[in-house]
Amino acid sequence: MLRPVKMSRVVVAGSKDVITPVVEKLHELHLLHIVNYNGSEPSFELGKPIGKAKEYSEDLIKLRSVTRYLDLKNKAPDKTYPESQILSEMDNLLNNVGADITATFERITVIDADVKTKRDQIRSLTPLAVLPLPLEAYYGYDSLATFVGTVATPVEADVAKVSSANEVFSGSAKNATFVAVFVPAEKASEVSSVLSEHGFSETSVPRLEGSVDSAIAALESSIKSLEGEKAPLQKKLVDAKKQYEDLMLATDEYLSMQTAKTEAPLRFAETANAFVIDGYVPSDQFSRLKSELESAAGGKLEVQMISDKEADELVEKGEDIPTKMDNPSLVKPYELITRLFAIPEYKEFDPSLLIFVFFPIMFGMILGDVGYGVMSLLVLIMLKKKFRTPGWQQLINIVMIASVWSIIFGFFFGEIFGPLGLWGRIMGHLPEHEIELAKEAGLYFGEGVFGTLGRIGPLGIFPLDRLATNAVLLLIGTSIFIGVIHCSVGSILGIKTELYYGEKKHAYFERLPVMLFQIFFSVALLGLVMGQSVLTYLGIIVVVVSIVMMVIGPEGPMGLAHVPSYVSNLISYLRLLAIGLASVGLAYAANQLAFYVIMPMLSGGATNSEEFTIPAIIVGIMILVVVHFINFLLGILSPFMHPLRLHYVEMFTKFYSAHGGGVEYSPFGHVRRFLKA
Amino acid sequence: MAVVADAGTLYGLLAVGAGLATGLAGIGAGVGEQGIGAAVVGVVAEEPGFLGKGLFLMLLPETLIIFGLAVSLILMFAWTPFSGIVTP
Repeated sequence: MLRPVKMSRVVVAGSKDVITPVVEKLHELHLLHIVNYNGSEPSFELGKPIGKAKEYSEDLIKLRSVTRYLDLKNKAPDKTYPESQILSEMDNLLNNVGADITATFERITVIDADVKTKRDQIRSLTPLAVLPLPLEAYYGYDSLATFVGTVATPVEADVAKVSSANEVFSGSAKNATFVAVFVPAEKASEVSSVLSEHGFSETSVPRLEGSVDSAIAALESSIKSLEGEKAPLQKKLVDAKKQYEDLMLATDEYLSMQTAKTEAPLRFAETANAFVIDGYVPSDQFSRLKSELESAAGGKLEVQMISDKEADELVEKGEDIPTKMDNPSLVKPYELITRLFAIPEYKEFDPSLLIFVFFPIMFGMILGDVGYGVMSLLVLIMLKKKFRTPGWQQLINIVMIASVWSIIFGFFFGEIFGPLGLWGRIMGHLPEHEIELAKEAGLYFGEGVFGTLGRIGPLGIFPLDRLATNAVLLLIGTSIFIGVIHCSVGSILGIKTELYYGEKKHAYFERLPVMLFQIFFSVALLGLVMGQSVLTYLGIIVVVVSIVMMVIGPEGPMGLAHVPSYVSNLISYLRLLAIGLASVGLAYAANQLAFYVIMPMLSGGATNSEEFTIPAIIVGIMILVVVHFINFLLGILSPFMHPLRLHYVEMFTKFYSAHGGGVEYSPFGHVRRFLKA
Repeated sequence: MAVVADAGTLYGLLAVGAGLATGLAGIGAGVGEQGIGAAVVGVVAEEPGFLGKGLFLMLLPETLIIFGLAVSLILMFAWTPFSGIVTP
């Protein structure tokens, strides 16, 4: 479980006659992680595609462009199709339906472009209305130059200076003066420089006819008719999407499968008459792979397992052994968190199981509320039906398990939507005089009780009110304690990993001292708190020893630079307490506000809950709902992010990143989703 | 020795100190995360596989605020020199 599945390096060699059935069988078995042949051996060439590879990929491109027009996204299948149905409908789908959709989409694009040009024309025509000219007067001259645009100051006099023959029209619009200047063509450049002195900025005049107003009206009516044409076309696309979505995704899947099969030989090594496939297979599946392949090839094939020694040599040359994480189904979702960080290398540990153990406990300890836990469980059950892609399902499962833990911790902490809220009303409180007694003895951990059971646990600490001073101190200790265990487990894995790679010095003088330092640093602290000087001295001695070991170790005195970070690693676990306190604080404030401020105030100073008036109760409940909802949203997010950080930063660094990321086991083959097997 | 301040003032000063410790540490952590966060978003936009590592880097400065918090907790709950005269 903590180790990836054991892999065997295999070589499949066979006659080219049987390459098609062998590829077919490999694809069906979904077992062999193929190592691509890189063409390095002179006697072997790269393989060539078999069968109708070209046709399949062309069809796939055609289909993908249609699915893009329909804006199809990958989704969970609503129904599945047998391959025969895909084959019989594919031609129609690609050529008739596809062509229709393409034509429709292209028409919509043309309409959109048309509408846009017409809108632009309207925009440039509108200001021309102030000039008394029909549109055809602006263009079509051989010997005249035309300037139309805005100017900052009047231009007539200056234009007349450079060109005595001229015609200038001007009119003022909202915040600019529009002019149309007509001069002989040979004077154009001089007039142009005169105009620019007056801040001239040119407007392009569309080549239309008639008066400006009638041109605008014509454009607007044609925009309207284009948009009228577009609406049914868009509806047609939406309908086509509804009708063909699953079929198209199924066809996509079929074509992708066929392309993968026909192009698979590109990853093989070939001679004139034979082919060789290199790859990895889980060791316990080797005999199945061998017998299935040999029967598919009718004896014209040989499957061999390479000895571990030879395989190690290949690894040294740069081949990656694929990692297949091996976890029971309850732990599987937590592989998501591992994967988000990095795929472990084949020889490293797969920490998913540890995340499964620690992550939900940390989440529960932070959130720790029966009410919030039940609420998030209900919300997640609803989301689980809605988001059915594997990634979402994993995420939802992670938080669901964590929510169960927060309900459990909710019972320890005596919280249902915060302390002082429902818990006290359901289970009751300690009587006043017992609270006083506990406070005097310095043993006050809260006033809640477990119904008739009263308070339980050593010194009666449960249910623990997290806001009480004693409880805060206790939780500080607990957080650091969890941190020591968490980091130590990480260090142990680090030591074992280094030993597995055969680096004893790194194991005993780099990883081990860290563990000793962290454990005995906290022992020393414990001794200080409990007043046991024996523990303190023991702790300090071992801490010094571990620092000496670090200096002897491979990093030398530079290793000392890491010491502060080992202390801060432990302090970092205080967030388990701190973030919990923040959300308890908010919940507490909400309950105080509703039950002890708003409700009594609106009931005219009533102190007994039976005297509260109905409006007061309604307002109070509204405040409770709003504040608890906000707190709930925050309360799901931070208990997720912070344990994540504790794993990534505090734990994984102890063993993980030492040797870089691995390659995930991805066997040749396909998991059918839209296609029936 | 003359009385410098009464117990209430001392307790108030402790609370102000605790608040400053957490608050300033929070600002520090925020400033630290700002730059890293922007860079991580840039990297993830190009290469989504770096999300985990980016998150890891982005969460590093978060420890700062926990230091501030630890100081606050010590001030509020475990500070003994005034315990004789300071009662909340």
